[in-house]
Amino acid sequence: MQQVVAVVVFGLAAVVLGAGIFRTSSMVRSALSLLGSMAALGALFLALEAEFLGVLQLMMMATEMAIMAIFMVMYMMDPGGLGKMEMAHQKRVAIAFGVIAGLTGVALAVLPAWAPIVAVAPGPTLQVHDLGIELLTRSMLIFETAGLAILVAMVAATAVAIVRRRP
Amino acid sequence: MTSWWLVLAVLLGVYAIAVLEEWTMTGRIAPSAPLRSGLALLGRESLVPRQPDRVLFELAPLVLLIAAVLSLAVLPLAPGLLFADLATGALFVNAALAYVMVAVVMAGWAPNAPFALVAGWRFLGQLVAYSMLIVMPITAVGMRAQSLATSAVVDSQAPLWNVVAQPLGFGLFSLAALAVAFLPPFDLPIAPSELAGGVFGEYTGARLVIVRLGRLVLVLSLAMAVTVFYLGGWLGPMLPHCAWTSIKVLAVAATMLSTGRYLPRVTIDLMLAWAWKLGIPLALVNILWVGITLLLAKSG
Repeated sequence: MQQVVAVVVFGLAAVVLGAGIFRTSSMVRSALSLLGSMAALGALFLALEAEFLGVLQLMMMATEMAIMAIFMVMYMMDPGGLGKMEMAHQKRVAIAFGVIAGLTGVALAVLPAWAPIVAVAPGPTLQVHDLGIELLTRSMLIFETAGLAILVAMVAATAVAIVRRRP
Repeated sequence: MTSWWLVLAVLLGVYAIAVLEEWTMTGRIAPSAPLRSGLALLGRESLVPRQPDRVLFELAPLVLLIAAVLSLAVLPLAPGLLFADLATGALFVNAALAYVMVAVVMAGWAPNAPFALVAGWRFLGQLVAYSMLIVMPITAVGMRAQSLATSAVVDSQAPLWNVVAQPLGFGLFSLAALAVAFLPPFDLPIAPSELAGGVFGEYTGARLVIVRLGRLVLVLSLAMAVTVFYLGGWLGPMLPHCAWTSIKVLAVAATMLSTGRYLPRVTIDLMLAWAWKLGIPLALVNILWVGITLLLAKSG
Protein backbone atom coordinates (compact mmCIF):
# COMPACT_ATOMS: atom_id res chain seq x y z
CA MET A 1 0.00 0.00 0.00
CA GLN A 2 2.75 2.45 1.02
CA GLN A 3 4.62 1.50 -2.10
CA VAL A 4 1.62 2.24 -4.33
CA VAL A 5 1.11 5.62 -2.66
CA ALA A 6 4.81 6.48 -3.09
CA VAL A 7 4.74 5.45 -6.76
CA VAL A 8 1.62 7.52 -7.44
CA VAL A 9 2.95 10.59 -5.58
CA PHE A 10 6.36 10.59 -7.27
CA GLY A 11 4.80 9.78 -10.65
CA LEU A 12 2.42 12.72 -10.37
CA ALA A 13 5.28 14.95 -9.20
CA ALA A 14 7.30 13.93 -12.25
CA VAL A 15 4.37 14.75 -14.59
CA VAL A 16 3.57 18.10 -12.94
CA LEU A 17 7.20 19.23 -12.90
CA GLY A 18 7.58 17.98 -16.47
CA ALA A 19 4.70 20.21 -17.53
CA GLY A 20 6.36 23.02 -15.59
CA ILE A 21 9.23 23.01 -18.08
CA PHE A 22 6.98 24.56 -20.73
CA ARG A 23 5.00 26.84 -18.46
CA THR A 24 7.85 29.23 -17.73
CA SER A 25 9.69 31.70 -19.91
CA SER A 26 13.03 31.34 -18.14
CA MET A 27 15.71 28.90 -19.18
CA VAL A 28 16.97 28.36 -15.65
CA ARG A 29 13.52 27.73 -14.17
CA SER A 30 12.80 25.39 -17.04
CA ALA A 31 16.02 23.43 -16.46
CA LEU A 32 15.38 23.22 -12.71
CA SER A 33 11.84 22.03 -13.37
CA LEU A 34 13.20 19.32 -15.66
CA LEU A 35 15.68 18.38 -12.94
CA GLY A 36 12.84 18.17 -10.42
CA SER A 37 10.91 15.91 -12.79
CA MET A 38 13.92 13.63 -13.28
CA ALA A 39 14.63 13.53 -9.53
CA ALA A 40 10.99 12.53 -8.96
CA LEU A 41 11.55 9.68 -11.43
CA GLY A 42 14.63 8.66 -9.42
CA ALA A 43 12.53 8.59 -6.25
CA LEU A 44 9.95 6.56 -8.20
CA PHE A 45 12.62 3.97 -9.03
CA LEU A 46 13.58 3.86 -5.35
CA ALA A 47 9.93 3.28 -4.46
CA LEU A 48 9.88 0.43 -6.99
CA GLU A 49 12.79 -1.22 -5.11
CA ALA A 50 15.25 -0.56 -7.95
CA GLU A 51 17.82 0.99 -5.64
CA PHE A 52 20.82 1.24 -7.94
CA LEU A 53 18.76 2.67 -10.79
CA GLY A 54 17.14 5.22 -8.48
CA VAL A 55 20.42 6.43 -6.97
CA LEU A 56 22.05 6.56 -10.41
CA GLN A 57 19.12 8.57 -11.80
CA LEU A 58 19.29 11.04 -8.90
CA MET A 59 23.05 11.44 -9.33
CA MET A 60 23.30 11.69 -13.10
CA MET A 61 20.35 14.00 -13.62
CA ALA A 62 21.50 16.67 -11.15
CA THR A 63 24.84 17.07 -12.91
CA GLU A 64 23.39 16.61 -16.36
CA MET A 65 20.64 19.20 -16.04
CA ALA A 66 23.05 21.74 -14.56
CA ILE A 67 25.47 21.30 -17.42
CA MET A 68 22.61 21.53 -19.88
CA ALA A 69 21.52 24.77 -18.24
CA ILE A 70 24.98 26.32 -18.49
CA PHE A 71 25.27 25.32 -22.16
CA MET A 72 21.82 26.75 -22.90
CA VAL A 73 22.74 30.00 -21.24
CA MET A 74 26.06 30.12 -23.10
CA TYR A 75 24.61 29.44 -26.54
CA MET A 76 21.76 31.88 -26.04
CA MET A 77 24.33 34.65 -25.47
CA ASP A 78 22.50 35.53 -22.31
CA PRO A 79 24.84 35.58 -19.33
CA GLY A 80 22.80 34.75 -16.29
CA GLY A 81 19.94 33.24 -18.26
CA LEU A 82 17.65 36.09 -17.23
CA GLY A 83 16.22 36.73 -20.69
CA LYS A 84 12.73 35.49 -21.50
CA MET A 85 12.17 32.91 -24.17
CA GLU A 86 9.30 30.80 -25.42
CA MET A 87 9.77 27.20 -24.37
CA ALA A 88 7.38 25.68 -26.91
CA HIS A 89 7.95 25.86 -30.65
CA GLN A 90 6.02 24.50 -33.68
CA LYS A 91 3.11 23.82 -31.40
CA ARG A 92 0.90 21.78 -33.73
CA VAL A 93 3.69 19.42 -34.79
CA ALA A 94 4.87 19.15 -31.20
CA ILE A 95 1.37 18.31 -29.94
CA ALA A 96 0.93 15.69 -32.69
CA PHE A 97 4.27 14.09 -31.87
CA GLY A 98 3.53 14.23 -28.16
CA VAL A 99 0.20 12.45 -28.61
CA ILE A 100 1.73 9.81 -30.92
CA ALA A 101 4.65 9.18 -28.56
CA GLY A 102 2.32 8.98 -25.57
CA LEU A 103 0.02 6.50 -27.30
CA THR A 104 3.02 4.41 -28.42
CA GLY A 105 4.24 4.33 -24.83
CA VAL A 106 0.85 3.21 -23.53
CA ALA A 107 0.57 0.60 -26.31
CA LEU A 108 4.03 -0.74 -25.48
CA ALA A 109 3.07 -0.99 -21.84
CA VAL A 110 -0.26 -2.73 -22.45
CA LEU A 111 -0.12 -4.72 -25.71
CA PRO A 112 2.94 -7.04 -25.64
CA ALA A 113 2.76 -10.14 -23.48
CA TRP A 114 5.27 -9.15 -20.80
CA ALA A 115 6.74 -11.84 -18.58
CA PRO A 116 4.87 -12.18 -15.27
CA ILE A 117 5.78 -9.62 -12.59
CA VAL A 118 8.24 -11.00 -10.02
CA ALA A 119 6.58 -11.42 -6.65
CA VAL A 120 9.67 -10.42 -4.66
CA ALA A 121 12.33 -8.09 -6.06
CA PRO A 122 15.90 -9.33 -5.52
CA GLY A 123 17.80 -7.63 -2.71
CA PRO A 124 19.70 -4.40 -3.49
CA THR A 125 23.13 -6.05 -3.11
CA LEU A 126 22.18 -8.77 -5.56
CA GLN A 127 20.78 -6.16 -7.95
CA VAL A 128 24.08 -4.24 -8.02
CA HIS A 129 26.00 -7.48 -8.54
CA ASP A 130 23.72 -8.75 -11.32
CA LEU A 131 23.72 -5.39 -13.06
CA GLY A 132 27.53 -5.36 -13.09
CA ILE A 133 27.65 -8.86 -14.58
CA GLU A 134 25.03 -7.92 -17.18
CA LEU A 135 26.86 -4.75 -18.21
CA LEU A 136 30.14 -6.61 -18.72
CA THR A 137 28.72 -9.63 -20.54
CA ARG A 138 25.59 -9.56 -22.68
CA SER A 139 25.05 -5.79 -22.82
CA MET A 140 28.69 -4.85 -23.10
CA LEU A 141 28.68 -4.15 -26.83
CA ILE A 142 25.55 -1.98 -26.69
CA PHE A 143 26.86 -0.14 -23.67
CA GLU A 144 30.28 0.53 -25.15
CA THR A 145 28.78 1.57 -28.50
CA ALA A 146 26.51 4.07 -26.79
CA GLY A 147 29.42 5.42 -24.75
CA LEU A 148 31.59 5.82 -27.84
CA ALA A 149 28.76 7.51 -29.74
CA ILE A 150 28.34 10.06 -26.96
CA LEU A 151 32.10 10.70 -26.89
CA VAL A 152 32.16 11.22 -30.67
CA ALA A 153 29.23 13.61 -30.40
CA MET A 154 31.04 15.61 -27.72
CA VAL A 155 34.27 15.84 -29.70
CA ALA A 156 32.32 16.77 -32.85
CA ALA A 157 30.32 19.45 -31.02
CA THR A 158 33.53 20.96 -29.65
CA ALA A 159 35.18 20.85 -33.07
CA VAL A 160 32.20 22.60 -34.67
CA ALA A 161 32.18 25.27 -31.98
CA ILE A 162 35.85 26.23 -32.42
CA VAL A 163 36.24 29.43 -34.37
CA ARG A 164 38.77 29.01 -37.19
CA ARG A 165 41.50 31.60 -37.10
CA ARG A 166 42.49 33.03 -40.47
CA PRO A 167 46.25 33.43 -40.80
CA MET B 1 16.36 4.71 19.92
CA THR B 2 19.61 4.42 17.95
CA SER B 3 18.45 7.07 15.53
CA TRP B 4 18.08 9.57 18.39
CA TRP B 5 21.66 8.88 19.42
CA LEU B 6 22.68 9.40 15.80
CA VAL B 7 20.85 12.74 15.63
CA LEU B 8 22.60 13.78 18.84
CA ALA B 9 25.97 12.69 17.40
CA VAL B 10 25.33 14.72 14.22
CA LEU B 11 24.39 17.81 16.24
CA LEU B 12 27.50 17.45 18.42
CA GLY B 13 29.62 16.95 15.30
CA VAL B 14 28.20 20.05 13.65
CA TYR B 15 28.83 22.07 16.79
CA ALA B 16 32.40 20.80 17.00
CA ILE B 17 32.97 21.73 13.34
CA ALA B 18 31.62 25.23 14.00
CA VAL B 19 34.05 25.66 16.92
CA LEU B 20 36.88 24.28 14.76
CA GLU B 21 36.09 26.72 11.95
CA GLU B 22 36.21 29.63 14.39
CA TRP B 23 39.55 28.31 15.66
CA THR B 24 41.09 28.01 12.19
CA MET B 25 40.01 31.54 11.31
CA THR B 26 40.79 33.44 14.50
CA GLY B 27 43.04 31.13 16.52
CA ARG B 28 40.65 31.35 19.48
CA ILE B 29 38.74 28.41 20.91
CA ALA B 30 35.36 29.84 21.81
CA PRO B 31 32.90 27.07 22.66
CA SER B 32 29.93 29.40 22.97
CA ALA B 33 30.58 31.40 19.79
CA PRO B 34 28.47 29.29 17.36
CA LEU B 35 25.49 29.42 19.71
CA ARG B 36 25.83 33.16 20.21
CA SER B 37 26.20 33.97 16.53
CA GLY B 38 23.35 31.62 15.64
CA LEU B 39 21.02 33.31 18.13
CA ALA B 40 22.17 36.73 16.96
CA LEU B 41 21.36 35.83 13.34
CA LEU B 42 17.95 34.50 14.35
CA GLY B 43 17.22 37.81 16.02
CA ARG B 44 18.03 39.80 12.91
CA GLU B 45 15.67 40.73 10.11
CA SER B 46 15.67 38.27 7.21
CA LEU B 47 15.58 40.47 4.12
CA VAL B 48 14.15 39.43 0.78
CA PRO B 49 15.73 41.16 -2.24
CA ARG B 50 13.61 43.01 -4.75
CA GLN B 51 11.81 40.82 -7.31
CA PRO B 52 13.37 37.50 -6.39
CA ASP B 53 12.36 34.11 -7.68
CA ARG B 54 10.60 33.50 -4.39
CA VAL B 55 10.20 29.71 -4.65
CA LEU B 56 13.85 29.05 -5.51
CA PHE B 57 15.04 31.69 -3.02
CA GLU B 58 13.28 29.91 -0.15
CA LEU B 59 14.13 26.42 -1.39
CA ALA B 60 17.89 26.86 -1.91
CA PRO B 61 19.01 26.85 1.78
CA LEU B 62 16.73 23.88 2.48
CA VAL B 63 18.06 21.92 -0.49
CA LEU B 64 21.62 22.58 0.71
CA LEU B 65 20.79 21.33 4.21
CA ILE B 66 18.83 18.30 2.98
CA ALA B 67 21.55 17.28 0.50
CA ALA B 68 24.21 17.48 3.21
CA VAL B 69 22.09 15.51 5.70
CA LEU B 70 21.30 12.84 3.09
CA SER B 71 24.97 12.36 2.22
CA LEU B 72 25.70 11.97 5.93
CA ALA B 73 22.87 9.44 6.36
CA VAL B 74 24.68 6.58 4.64
CA LEU B 75 28.06 7.00 6.39
CA PRO B 76 28.56 4.76 9.44
CA LEU B 77 29.70 6.01 12.86
CA ALA B 78 30.29 2.46 14.09
CA PRO B 79 29.31 -1.00 12.80
CA GLY B 80 25.59 -0.84 12.11
CA LEU B 81 25.31 2.67 13.52
CA LEU B 82 24.03 4.73 10.58
CA PHE B 83 20.67 6.04 9.37
CA ALA B 84 20.41 3.97 6.19
CA ASP B 85 22.71 1.08 5.25
CA LEU B 86 22.13 1.21 1.51
CA ALA B 87 23.68 -1.36 -0.81
CA THR B 88 24.63 1.59 -3.02
CA GLY B 89 25.84 3.80 -0.15
CA ALA B 90 29.09 5.00 -1.74
CA LEU B 91 27.22 6.02 -4.89
CA PHE B 92 24.47 7.64 -2.82
CA VAL B 93 27.02 9.97 -1.16
CA ASN B 94 27.92 11.27 -4.59
CA ALA B 95 24.26 11.54 -5.63
CA ALA B 96 23.44 13.60 -2.55
CA LEU B 97 26.49 15.84 -3.03
CA ALA B 98 25.34 16.63 -6.58
CA TYR B 99 22.36 18.47 -5.08
CA VAL B 100 24.72 20.82 -3.22
CA MET B 101 25.46 22.27 -6.62
CA VAL B 102 21.74 22.49 -7.41
CA ALA B 103 21.22 24.42 -4.16
CA VAL B 104 24.11 26.77 -4.87
CA VAL B 105 22.98 27.48 -8.43
CA MET B 106 19.43 28.10 -7.19
CA ALA B 107 20.71 30.43 -4.47
CA GLY B 108 22.78 32.28 -7.04
CA TRP B 109 19.99 32.72 -9.53
CA ALA B 110 16.99 33.33 -7.26
CA PRO B 111 17.75 36.65 -5.52
CA ASN B 112 17.99 38.59 -8.80
CA ALA B 113 21.36 40.04 -7.78
CA PRO B 114 24.44 40.26 -10.02
CA PHE B 115 27.10 39.16 -7.51
CA ALA B 116 25.14 36.08 -6.45
CA LEU B 117 24.46 35.22 -10.08
CA VAL B 118 28.13 35.37 -11.07
CA ALA B 119 29.07 33.29 -8.04
CA GLY B 120 26.36 30.70 -8.73
CA TRP B 121 27.58 30.10 -12.29
CA ARG B 122 31.13 29.99 -10.95
CA PHE B 123 30.18 27.09 -8.71
CA LEU B 124 28.70 25.28 -11.69
CA GLY B 125 32.07 25.68 -13.44
CA GLN B 126 33.72 24.38 -10.29
CA LEU B 127 31.43 21.33 -10.37
CA VAL B 128 32.58 20.49 -13.90
CA ALA B 129 36.11 20.42 -12.44
CA TYR B 130 35.53 18.45 -9.24
CA SER B 131 32.67 16.05 -9.90
CA MET B 132 34.70 13.42 -11.76
CA LEU B 133 37.33 13.56 -9.01
CA ILE B 134 34.67 12.62 -6.47
CA VAL B 135 33.18 9.73 -8.38
CA MET B 136 36.32 8.12 -9.86
CA PRO B 137 38.19 7.64 -6.54
CA ILE B 138 34.93 6.25 -5.05
CA THR B 139 34.91 3.72 -7.90
CA ALA B 140 38.37 2.49 -6.86
CA VAL B 141 37.27 2.30 -3.22
CA GLY B 142 34.25 0.23 -4.26
CA MET B 143 36.50 -2.03 -6.33
CA ARG B 144 38.61 -2.91 -3.29
CA ALA B 145 35.56 -3.49 -1.10
CA GLN B 146 33.78 -5.48 -3.84
CA SER B 147 30.71 -3.55 -2.71
CA LEU B 148 29.21 -0.08 -2.71
CA ALA B 149 27.90 -0.43 0.86
CA THR B 150 29.80 1.94 3.16
CA SER B 151 30.10 -0.65 5.96
CA ALA B 152 31.72 -3.09 3.52
CA VAL B 153 34.12 -0.32 2.47
CA VAL B 154 35.27 0.08 6.08
CA ASP B 155 35.54 -3.68 6.58
CA SER B 156 37.70 -3.99 3.46
CA GLN B 157 40.27 -1.70 5.08
CA ALA B 158 40.95 -3.97 8.06
CA PRO B 159 44.29 -5.27 6.64
CA LEU B 160 45.41 -1.92 5.23
CA TRP B 161 43.74 1.49 5.16
CA ASN B 162 42.89 2.87 1.75
CA VAL B 163 45.02 5.95 2.39
CA VAL B 164 48.05 3.65 2.06
CA ALA B 165 46.54 1.25 -0.49
CA GLN B 166 45.41 4.00 -2.87
CA PRO B 167 47.16 7.26 -1.93
CA LEU B 168 46.40 8.87 -5.29
CA GLY B 169 42.68 8.41 -4.78
CA PHE B 170 42.96 9.84 -1.27
CA GLY B 171 44.70 12.97 -2.50
CA LEU B 172 42.27 13.57 -5.36
CA PHE B 173 39.17 12.88 -3.26
CA SER B 174 40.34 15.19 -0.46
CA LEU B 175 41.01 18.06 -2.87
CA ALA B 176 37.65 17.51 -4.58
CA ALA B 177 35.99 17.46 -1.14
CA LEU B 178 37.42 20.94 -0.46
CA ALA B 179 35.92 22.10 -3.75
CA VAL B 180 32.49 20.60 -2.98
CA ALA B 181 32.27 22.50 0.30
CA PHE B 182 33.70 25.64 -1.39
CA LEU B 183 36.38 25.86 1.27
CA PRO B 184 39.59 27.78 0.55
CA PRO B 185 41.47 27.62 -1.79
CA PHE B 186 38.34 26.79 -3.82
CA ASP B 187 36.06 29.41 -2.24
CA LEU B 188 35.50 31.68 -5.23
CA PRO B 189 31.74 30.91 -5.26
CA ILE B 190 31.34 32.59 -1.89
CA ALA B 191 34.27 34.93 -2.51
CA PRO B 192 34.28 36.79 0.78
CA SER B 193 36.80 39.34 -0.41
CA GLU B 194 35.49 39.94 -3.88
CA LEU B 195 31.78 39.39 -4.48
CA ALA B 196 30.58 40.43 -1.01
CA GLY B 197 29.56 36.96 0.09
CA GLY B 198 28.88 35.66 -3.42
CA VAL B 199 26.13 33.09 -3.69
CA PHE B 200 24.81 33.59 -0.19
CA GLY B 201 25.42 37.33 -0.09
CA GLU B 202 21.70 38.12 -0.28
CA TYR B 203 20.74 35.79 2.55
CA THR B 204 20.28 37.27 6.01
CA GLY B 205 18.76 36.37 9.37
CA ALA B 206 17.01 33.01 9.78
CA ARG B 207 17.65 32.01 6.15
CA LEU B 208 21.39 32.56 6.65
CA VAL B 209 21.24 30.33 9.73
CA ILE B 210 19.97 27.49 7.54
CA VAL B 211 22.67 28.19 4.94
CA ARG B 212 25.43 28.16 7.59
CA LEU B 213 24.00 25.02 9.19
CA GLY B 214 23.85 23.30 5.80
CA ARG B 215 27.47 24.23 5.10
CA LEU B 216 28.60 22.89 8.49
CA VAL B 217 26.74 19.60 7.95
CA LEU B 218 28.33 19.46 4.50
CA VAL B 219 31.85 19.85 5.94
CA LEU B 220 31.05 17.21 8.57
CA SER B 221 29.72 14.87 5.90
CA LEU B 222 32.78 15.30 3.67
CA ALA B 223 35.18 14.75 6.59
CA MET B 224 33.16 11.65 7.43
CA ALA B 225 33.35 10.48 3.79
CA VAL B 226 37.15 10.87 3.75
CA THR B 227 37.31 8.95 7.04
CA VAL B 228 35.05 6.13 5.89
CA PHE B 229 36.51 5.77 2.40
CA TYR B 230 40.20 6.22 3.17
CA LEU B 231 41.04 6.32 6.88
CA GLY B 232 39.45 3.06 7.97
CA GLY B 233 36.27 4.53 9.48
CA TRP B 234 35.74 3.06 12.92
CA LEU B 235 38.81 0.78 12.79
CA GLY B 236 41.44 1.30 15.51
CA PRO B 237 42.82 -0.32 18.66
CA MET B 238 41.73 0.09 22.29
CA LEU B 239 39.14 2.90 22.07
CA PRO B 240 35.48 2.20 21.18
CA HIS B 241 34.40 2.43 17.52
CA CYS B 242 32.55 5.76 17.85
CA ALA B 243 35.58 7.38 19.49
CA TRP B 244 37.86 6.41 16.60
CA THR B 245 35.42 7.72 14.01
CA SER B 246 35.00 10.99 15.93
CA ILE B 247 38.75 11.53 16.36
CA LYS B 248 39.43 10.88 12.69
CA VAL B 249 36.52 13.02 11.49
CA LEU B 250 37.57 15.97 13.64
CA ALA B 251 41.20 15.66 12.54
CA VAL B 252 40.17 15.56 8.86
CA ALA B 253 37.79 18.50 9.34
CA ALA B 254 40.48 20.55 11.09
CA THR B 255 42.89 19.83 8.24
CA MET B 256 40.25 20.67 5.62
CA LEU B 257 39.35 23.93 7.32
CA SER B 258 42.89 25.10 7.98
CA THR B 259 45.21 24.04 5.10
CA GLY B 260 43.43 25.98 2.38
CA ARG B 261 43.95 29.23 4.25
CA TYR B 262 47.69 29.07 3.52
CA LEU B 263 47.20 28.65 -0.23
CA PRO B 264 46.28 31.23 -2.86
CA ARG B 265 42.74 30.99 -4.28
CA VAL B 266 42.45 28.88 -7.42
CA THR B 267 40.54 30.53 -10.25
CA ILE B 268 37.94 28.49 -12.11
CA ASP B 269 39.93 28.28 -15.37
CA LEU B 270 43.01 26.93 -13.57
CA MET B 271 40.86 24.52 -11.59
CA LEU B 272 39.24 23.21 -14.78
CA ALA B 273 42.57 22.86 -16.56
CA TRP B 274 44.20 20.99 -13.68
CA ALA B 275 41.18 18.80 -13.01
CA TRP B 276 40.80 17.66 -16.62
CA LYS B 277 44.40 17.56 -17.78
CA LEU B 278 45.96 16.20 -14.60
CA GLY B 279 43.28 15.08 -12.12
CA ILE B 280 41.23 12.78 -14.33
CA PRO B 281 44.27 10.97 -15.86
CA LEU B 282 45.59 10.49 -12.31
CA ALA B 283 42.20 9.14 -11.21
CA LEU B 284 42.34 6.67 -14.11
CA VAL B 285 45.87 5.64 -13.08
CA ASN B 286 44.50 5.14 -9.56
CA ILE B 287 41.73 2.84 -10.85
CA LEU B 288 44.28 0.89 -12.91
CA TRP B 289 46.65 0.64 -9.92
CA VAL B 290 43.89 -0.63 -7.62
CA GLY B 291 42.76 -3.11 -10.28
CA ILE B 292 46.30 -4.48 -10.70
CA THR B 293 46.92 -4.78 -6.93
CA LEU B 294 43.56 -6.54 -6.51
CA LEU B 295 44.34 -9.04 -9.28
CA LEU B 296 47.84 -9.65 -7.87
CA ALA B 297 46.44 -10.16 -4.36
CA LYS B 298 43.85 -12.58 -5.78
CA SER B 299 46.36 -14.69 -7.73
CA GLY B 300 49.18 -14.49 -5.14
